[in-house]
Amino acid sequence: MPSISVQNITKKFASQTAVDNVSFDVEAGEIFGLLGPNGAGKTTCIRIILDIFKPDSGSVTLLGGPMNEEKKNKIGYLPEERGLYQDIPLERCLVYLATLKGMDASVAQERVANYLTRFDLIDWRKKKVKELSKGMQQKAQLITTLVHQPQVIIIDEPFSSLDPVNTQMVKDLLREERDAGKTIIMCTHQMHQVEELCDRLVLIDQGKAMLYGTLHDVRQQFAKPAVTVSTQDKLPQSLPGVDNIQNENGDYTLHLAPGKSPQDLLQFLVQAHLHIDKFEIAMPTLDEIFIEVVKKQGVSQ
Amino acid sequence: MNKFWLVFAQEYKRHVLRKRFIFAALSMPIFVGFIALVGFLSVRLQYNSAPVGYLDSYSILSNPQPVPAEKNSLLPAADFVAYSSETSARSDLEAGKIQAYFVLSKDYLSSGEVTLVKGKKAGANITDDFGSFMSFNLLEGKPQNVITRLTEGNNLIIRSADGSRELAANNWLSIAMPFLAGILFIIAVNISGGYLLQAVVEEKENRTMEIIITSVSPSQLMAGKVLADLLVGLTELTIWIVFMLIALRFVPQWVAIGQSTQLDAGSILLMVGTFLPAFVMVAAAMGAIGATATEAREAQQVAGLFTLPIVVPFWFTTAIMFNPNGAISTGLSMFPLTAPISLPLRAMFTNIPAWQIVLTIGLLFLLAGFTVWLAGRVFRIGMLRYGKKVSFREVFRTQPVQGR
Repeated sequence: MPSISVQNITKKFASQTAVDNVSFDVEAGEIFGLLGPNGAGKTTCIRIILDIFKPDSGSVTLLGGPMNEEKKNKIGYLPEERGLYQDIPLERCLVYLATLKGMDASVAQERVANYLTRFDLIDWRKKKVKELSKGMQQKAQLITTLVHQPQVIIIDEPFSSLDPVNTQMVKDLLREERDAGKTIIMCTHQMHQVEELCDRLVLIDQGKAMLYGTLHDVRQQFAKPAVTVSTQDKLPQSLPGVDNIQNENGDYTLHLAPGKSPQDLLQFLVQAHLHIDKFEIAMPTLDEIFIEVVKKQGVSQ
Repeated sequence: MNKFWLVFAQEYKRHVLRKRFIFAALSMPIFVGFIALVGFLSVRLQYNSAPVGYLDSYSILSNPQPVPAEKNSLLPAADFVAYSSETSARSDLEAGKIQAYFVLSKDYLSSGEVTLVKGKKAGANITDDFGSFMSFNLLEGKPQNVITRLTEGNNLIIRSADGSRELAANNWLSIAMPFLAGILFIIAVNISGGYLLQAVVEEKENRTMEIIITSVSPSQLMAGKVLADLLVGLTELTIWIVFMLIALRFVPQWVAIGQSTQLDAGSILLMVGTFLPAFVMVAAAMGAIGATATEAREAQQVAGLFTLPIVVPFWFTTAIMFNPNGAISTGLSMFPLTAPISLPLRAMFTNIPAWQIVLTIGLLFLLAGFTVWLAGRVFRIGMLRYGKKVSFREVFRTQPVQGR
């Protein structure tokens, strides 16, 4: 049974349909990407899952049933708009938010201290939150999301304001949580992060679910007849069975003519005694898929 | 621990431990103390306790005696010295032995005519002091009770026609009590409501709200905040009252007045019965305004409109006192928003029919309940909305957002 099951949810605000008949499931032990351009309806979806908004129609099942007060303690949420009490010391703020998730104050104190050490914030624990840099506040917000060891983690743009070292640390942390069987929904615009972390995804645009499936399936679905070739030699101006050649950072993308197979091309290249370093089926990046889907949707509207 | 208590404790600590709160709590007594000190100094600068002379050439006073000094008086009255001739009085005035002298005219008893000759440093107190001196000596020989009655005046007792209510003029603080309690109530409502408003707007502004409502139900959140902010307001009032009691120790006359004040249980019940629902009503409204406002300044402007009707009865105090059963008094005491101040005040001057009290308090509780319900809905719709107003249609639509 999926940890989160979203079934045909629709939500309107006045005449605007924010979410239009969206369905998806999220399993335990996976990182699920919730993608979409700005204003696509991602945040509304999340708020419906969290029971902040009621859907006009459709339903959400979370951990086997509807949301209740007890389940709130099992959810860790990192909203897009960061929110911490600015004028109280960091440690007090984090302990308070942890106790609101049902943790005993002494346990919360201990866990917060551990996380502060891990996130390199321990020396700042007595400082007011407003004295912290943006990146530090982002790390503090992540501590609030994870400190009570939630079963379901919903994070919106978790890497914003983080430097590469901290980005890597958060990635490792998310993988750890996934491996521990947690259910993770990640909202982001950074497609390379999705490619790196997500097992499955749904792409929402203008309130509608446009793509849904595993990362591999989605890319496969958008794969064009093309190959990527890396060679130290210069490629001939024209190749048999190739319509178009693109050179990007030393790699060639060869777009095949209709009916031509990659095997024919490989055979030709070998026979031409070219030194091939890499030869692979060109898969579209998520960025390309994202742009294609969003543009197509825009045109159809 | 129940999350309500967590919200309550956090909210209370957050406000009370702030420098802003400590400053606000201390600034009022410091301000009042400063005003009192300036007032005292201005009187003290015009005060002069040096002897004052008088000429009673026509022996109007038979055996003049000094007025007995009041105990613990900060500004004791000047001593009066009799002179037989104006020449000697003038020479003492010029020598600085006296600050001024009074000359009683021949027909003083019929005309009250007195001439004052004063030096440059004569105090502003000498005229009053001379008046007391003359009254005291003119009444000499009369029985003590007559002297007391003439100097202290009547104790007027006002009794209602059916004899059910009675008020003595010397128990004036009892009359003033609903008035004072009303002022304290308005201050408490404003302080607490202000803190609540500020807390909700801040949580919206710094986006903590979204985290909080995924941990606590809106009703627990609001209840915890309302109670904590009520206590914050009461803490501030208590600090002021403690300072006031400390100050009263230095003004002993006030203690006697305080001890003579009698408040019956009925008046206290009326105050509690009206203040409590009114406070809940205002607090709920403040929470809702805070949730719908996009910034603190906007919220404070709207909030002023809610406390305004509560203050209105103060403008009609005279009407309530002199015509407690008139249309204005009855109307004000029964209208829910003006009832908290006017009902207890009116009750001091008339016997309010039981049905009116029951109806008014009942209405207040009903309205408080409705406001909490309405505020809850507005709060749930507005808490995560930025830059767009909440419409009436949305508020009354079924199941807008989070139901619990």
